[in-house]
Amino acid sequence: MNETRLVTRRMADHPADSHTIERYEATGGYSQARRSLQMGRERLVELVKESGLLGRGGAAFPAGMKWSFLAPARPAYLVVNADESEPGTYKDRQLLERDPHQLVEGIIIAAVANEVHHAFVYVRGEYARPARRLQRAVEEAYGRGYLGKDIFGSDYDLEVVVHLGAGAYICGEETALLNSLEGHRGEPRLKPPYFPAATGLYGKPTIVNNVETISNLPHILELGADGFRKLGHPEDTGTFLFSVSGHVRKPGNYELPHGITWRELIFEVAGGLREGRTLKCWIPGGASAPWFVPADHLDLEITKDATGRAGSMLGSGAVVVMDDTTCVVRAAQRIVRFFAHESCGQCTPCREGTSWLEMILGRIEEGAGREVDVDVLLDVADNISVGLAWPPRMTTICPLGPSAVSPVSSITRYFKDEIMAHIHQAGCPLR
Amino acid sequence: MLTELLKGLAVTFRQMFRPRVTTRYPKEFRTKPQRFHGRHVLNRYPDGMEKCIGCELCAGACPARCIYVRGMDNPVDAPVSPGERYGFVYEINMLRCIFCGLCVEACPTEAITMTHLFEMSVTNRDDAIYTKNELLMRPDGTVPHMFDDDPYANYEELNTADGWLRATAPGGVAAYEGVKMWQGTQGPASWDPEPDQETRDA
Amino acid sequence: MSEHTVRIVVDGRELEVPKGELVIKAAQDNGTYIPRFCWHPRMKPVGMCRMCLVFIDSGRGPMLTTACTTPVADGMKVDTTDPAVKKAQEGILEFLLINHPLDCPVCDRGGECPLQDQTMAYGPGESRFVEEKRHFEKPIPISDLVMLDRERCILCARCTRFSEEVSGDPLIEFLDRGYHTEVNTFPDHPFRSYFSGNTVQICPVGALTATLYRFRARPWDLVAVESTCTHCTAGDRIVIQASQNEILRFLGVDAEATNQGWLSDKCRFGFGYINSDQRLTVPLIRDGDGFREATWGEALDLIAQRLGDVIRTSGPDAVAALGGARGTNEDAYALSKFMRTVVGSNNLDCRMDDTLDAEFLAATVDRALISDIDRAKTILVWGPDLKEEHPTLYLRVRRAAIGSVPGLVSSNSDAHLAAAAGATLVVVHPRATGLDPVADFKLTYRPGSGAELLAQLRAGEGRLAEVRAALAEGPVVALVGRTGSTEDPRLAEAVAAFVRTLPDAKILPLARRANTYGALDMGVAPTLLPGRVSISEETFTAWGDIPRKPGRDCRSILEGALAGDIQALLLVGADPVRDVPDGDLADRALDAVPFLVAVDLFLTDSAGRADVVLPADGFGEKEGTVTNLEGRVQKVNAIVPGAGQSRPDWSILDDLARRMGSSLGFGSAEAIAKEIAEVAPAYRGVTWDVLDWEARDGVVVPGGEGTQPLVYLPADTPGPIIKADLVLHSARTMYDDGVTMRHTPHLHRLAPGAALHVHPDDAARLGLGFRARVVGSSGSATLPVVTDPSLARGVVYVPFNQPGCPPLGSDPRVTVEPA
Repeated sequence: MNETRLVTRRMADHPADSHTIERYEATGGYSQARRSLQMGRERLVELVKESGLLGRGGAAFPAGMKWSFLAPARPAYLVVNADESEPGTYKDRQLLERDPHQLVEGIIIAAVANEVHHAFVYVRGEYARPARRLQRAVEEAYGRGYLGKDIFGSDYDLEVVVHLGAGAYICGEETALLNSLEGHRGEPRLKPPYFPAATGLYGKPTIVNNVETISNLPHILELGADGFRKLGHPEDTGTFLFSVSGHVRKPGNYELPHGITWRELIFEVAGGLREGRTLKCWIPGGASAPWFVPADHLDLEITKDATGRAGSMLGSGAVVVMDDTTCVVRAAQRIVRFFAHESCGQCTPCREGTSWLEMILGRIEEGAGREVDVDVLLDVADNISVGLAWPPRMTTICPLGPSAVSPVSSITRYFKDEIMAHIHQAGCPLR
Repeated sequence: MLTELLKGLAVTFRQMFRPRVTTRYPKEFRTKPQRFHGRHVLNRYPDGMEKCIGCELCAGACPARCIYVRGMDNPVDAPVSPGERYGFVYEINMLRCIFCGLCVEACPTEAITMTHLFEMSVTNRDDAIYTKNELLMRPDGTVPHMFDDDPYANYEELNTADGWLRATAPGGVAAYEGVKMWQGTQGPASWDPEPDQETRDA
Repeated sequence: MSEHTVRIVVDGRELEVPKGELVIKAAQDNGTYIPRFCWHPRMKPVGMCRMCLVFIDSGRGPMLTTACTTPVADGMKVDTTDPAVKKAQEGILEFLLINHPLDCPVCDRGGECPLQDQTMAYGPGESRFVEEKRHFEKPIPISDLVMLDRERCILCARCTRFSEEVSGDPLIEFLDRGYHTEVNTFPDHPFRSYFSGNTVQICPVGALTATLYRFRARPWDLVAVESTCTHCTAGDRIVIQASQNEILRFLGVDAEATNQGWLSDKCRFGFGYINSDQRLTVPLIRDGDGFREATWGEALDLIAQRLGDVIRTSGPDAVAALGGARGTNEDAYALSKFMRTVVGSNNLDCRMDDTLDAEFLAATVDRALISDIDRAKTILVWGPDLKEEHPTLYLRVRRAAIGSVPGLVSSNSDAHLAAAAGATLVVVHPRATGLDPVADFKLTYRPGSGAELLAQLRAGEGRLAEVRAALAEGPVVALVGRTGSTEDPRLAEAVAAFVRTLPDAKILPLARRANTYGALDMGVAPTLLPGRVSISEETFTAWGDIPRKPGRDCRSILEGALAGDIQALLLVGADPVRDVPDGDLADRALDAVPFLVAVDLFLTDSAGRADVVLPADGFGEKEGTVTNLEGRVQKVNAIVPGAGQSRPDWSILDDLARRMGSSLGFGSAEAIAKEIAEVAPAYRGVTWDVLDWEARDGVVVPGGEGTQPLVYLPADTPGPIIKADLVLHSARTMYDDGVTMRHTPHLHRLAPGAALHVHPDDAARLGLGFRARVVGSSGSATLPVVTDPSLARGVVYVPFNQPGCPPLGSDPRVTVEPA
């Protein structure tokens, strides 16, 4: 199965210098940004709406619709969410590091489409090299008059600021990101207001888009809405970056259209599992997503809706594959520990509950589990995410707490026997 | 007439050969029921720390309002009790006390318990107010008597009497009554060790 | 249903509630309590504890939502009793308790703890948590007054929000995140806030405790009575709690009209003096250099005889009285009546020459209420630093200026948005003030040049055009007072006169000392009679034949004493040596007066020179009424007996009158209140019955049209402009060397201490080293030098009445030389 390269085409064709402005311009770069200046807000928003581009940050919200919600008050801001910290996700990193000008061009288009004159890129604190590359790209663009005052000789001003986070997963949540950008603690804001498009950065209308979403914009302008739609599945247009990791032979980023099956992704694209191993389960869309198991989900079509109906999500496209040597209790504990560590501490259920879940899982893994612990585990999880439903019915402000519940609900649903084996054998049976 | 007299004498003669029920108090003492409510003591932990933390729950529970407690910060270098707070003042007015034992029930650390001692007559009302001096057991595990030189004082009753435990377990479950849930105490108000526990000397 | 209300259904009951109100508040006001920890009615909701999760159905089916973050909407259905709601609440409580230590027996909150109460009501029976709890170092002092126990903290953010949102000194914050989140102060920055005690009161657990109250008592052995704080003149409502006849703590009461639940630390913790062992307990009579103890009869007879002698030989005008502002209205009325009817003199003053004109304070026209601040479009503060001298007013003004509306979130009503924008705040003061960070305009001037600035502001030219334009937007509320002891008192009046030319303007004249307004209203002033009546008002006949010629004010009394015109002086809770800005004058006057009587709680610097000293009842020891700066009459109540043989002022004066062959005709303080209600026009009908049973927030006098005979128009005579090379600004700080503070050791040691603040340039120019000698018009001192770049050049600042520094005089001209 071949990749359908769109946002990763340049880095594949020119691996040595795809991040330089010379290469970028040599391969047609910044021509769409110039074009966008002539198109104006109405047509650009309409075009993106028609293209059916879904947000690539995890929630898969239609980008064009988000833009059309932007309140008319000015100043307004564009914030690019490059705080990619979902375990297993590493797609934005590649885009930032190897094609930063594509992002800058996308920012220009998005800014013009929303009549915004200030854009911020919030880069994950650990992404030092991608941030340096992006910073350099922004400086180059400033140098050539593509950013700053009167970009491309028009009378349009656009300032872009690259901001490095301080290392918090929660700042990937858009309202926490805005708080962090304003200099407050990175804690998600209360909803309503549900959309920063009404009240966002500094209380002003704000568009928050993911790196991949923005990087797609030059291609939408180039291909046209129809051209873009044709690339993917009728419902999920365009291509999608899958970050496949775990027990596969060829882990890596793959740009693929929606609509293939999981079997194709894992066994064809990613090269299948290692010799003699069988597939046990996989996480379809980042650490927050409930897990899939071969018996039920291997032939499922990869689209937003199909995954949603099966009780999980595509999220940011991080596929973590686990083979039969994996201890699911340990795997779940690791993921829960991540969320417990990254909880902002605002809401009681998330702050206390995630750590409690981690402690119970740890106890089971170490052989000190009791039979009643399974019930406690489920009930604690239920108090964070009511009914363990998907999409979650949260008792918290943001979905981080319920995210920590996903592995717990998955292993208790599919691997109850293995948990009981831990308890009865007073230790991990796989060790 | 004569038959009536004989009837009466028969009763007398029958009683003459029955065992005597009167005890020759104060020369001899009857064994009290296990849950007899006598005067209070304040207990210590085996390491000598006071159990009382000055929380005033006993005073709050007391229906006769005869307990007066004031807490204080534990001195950092020489703590009196574990934790932040200790009972700085502890007084019970025995004239008001109705020996209901609610203070014992209320105590969260089992600092206050009751002995079997019931002789508390005083010649001065002030003496009926037991302060920490009289209530707190000595480091050797014995309990001070109000009048140490009283020839009639029965120290036996004070030193060997069993402290009365709460009627129910702290958890509120009657089935757990008497089950040891706290650290053992030296001296009075301690219980026999559980079969698998080693005996701790006072 | 009006346009301001919506209909919602709570647990099947249909309710009509105000638009924009939060569900939790609307439900509570209608009898349905939704449990909560983080929500506080006076602060913005954060939805952090999640305890108030209930089913809210806004048309899309019932969803578990926090009631504290959801504004009501028409047709909304709220279900607080559903099993799923109960389970969610139980779950939250279990989460909160897994790391909460079972400290309850030793915790100061135990017994009055919202966490305990709500666990009993909504919590699970037992915890399933078998792991080790989170541990922190047990209580750490985060300031001199507050201890923090992080183990007990449930991270509700009430304290952090209070200090950021309400008091404006965000010194306490969350550190770390997730499971390790803790509340703490920043390293080397203690929680040194004037309002830190409020965080103790609003903490829903025992995480923040007051050092003073620590382990002193349990809630069940406290008795309580509601009262009014008299540390400043705002009339803050408080609850006094005592145990074993000892006052142990004060709590703020949420009175909408005054303090809205908040208190300054001075008010909250400033009661140590009442329990002080330095209190006067028996009457003292001078015996050589010292005193001997005497009986009441002996002491009063002596006073009666000496006063009688003076009146006979030199006439009633040779007798004068100072003070009366520290007591109740009843005490002040007794003093006023005593001086007028028994002595026959108008030489009495409750002001210590450090405040404004008596008529202006008592009866100015267009007087504002405190609550007018909330509705103002523009607020002008030209007076003392509110944060130091009127702390709860500072909170009110600050809130109005930043425009946060507690209780509402993201409502789109125009009124809300307008209020949320905040009032325009103009602050005028010679120095940096606490309100500067939230002020839209801050004008600074050199003491002595206020009149110049006022003229410029009135003209509104140049840099002041913008300020003048802001002031032209009504409603305007102006808080005017004397910015410091070296300022001409007429300036504030001139400011008030200017304010009257502004649209829809109201004025709040500021005086600081406890019951100054009440005492003035009772006629403890040379020109006033009870009930805001001028001394020349012939219609006031209740006291029969009284002198109608205006008497001497404080300064004139002291000068008279020095000149030998005043032969006998009564100090009633007054300490002129410490309080009068011209300390030198007071010093010499008290030495000169032949017969000095002091009625006081302590042997103050002034009372120490008296011939007879009488012990008086203090705060919390007597019942009565006090009047705050807006004219609100409220009750103060007794909870503990007085110290030793002390008596209330009125009873002393009543007894004294009898021994002088006259009578005031009082039987009790309540009888005096009845007499006031009949005699004093502005106080007509304000009896204790009304205050105790009908008016929860007190009664604002005058009660209606025509009940205030004297209406004073502020005079537009700002006084001379004084220019000098160096001018002195001297103003009070919250903690000082006043007599009550001095006997409240834990607050007294927080006093900033005497120091000479100068601009670094001036310090260099004058060649000042570590210490400098400052010579004022009426006193001098050698003080440590503090350089303060926020001061204007040419201005030196010396905090008033600090330990080790006498008052320096009321003239701004000073000289400073290196020491």
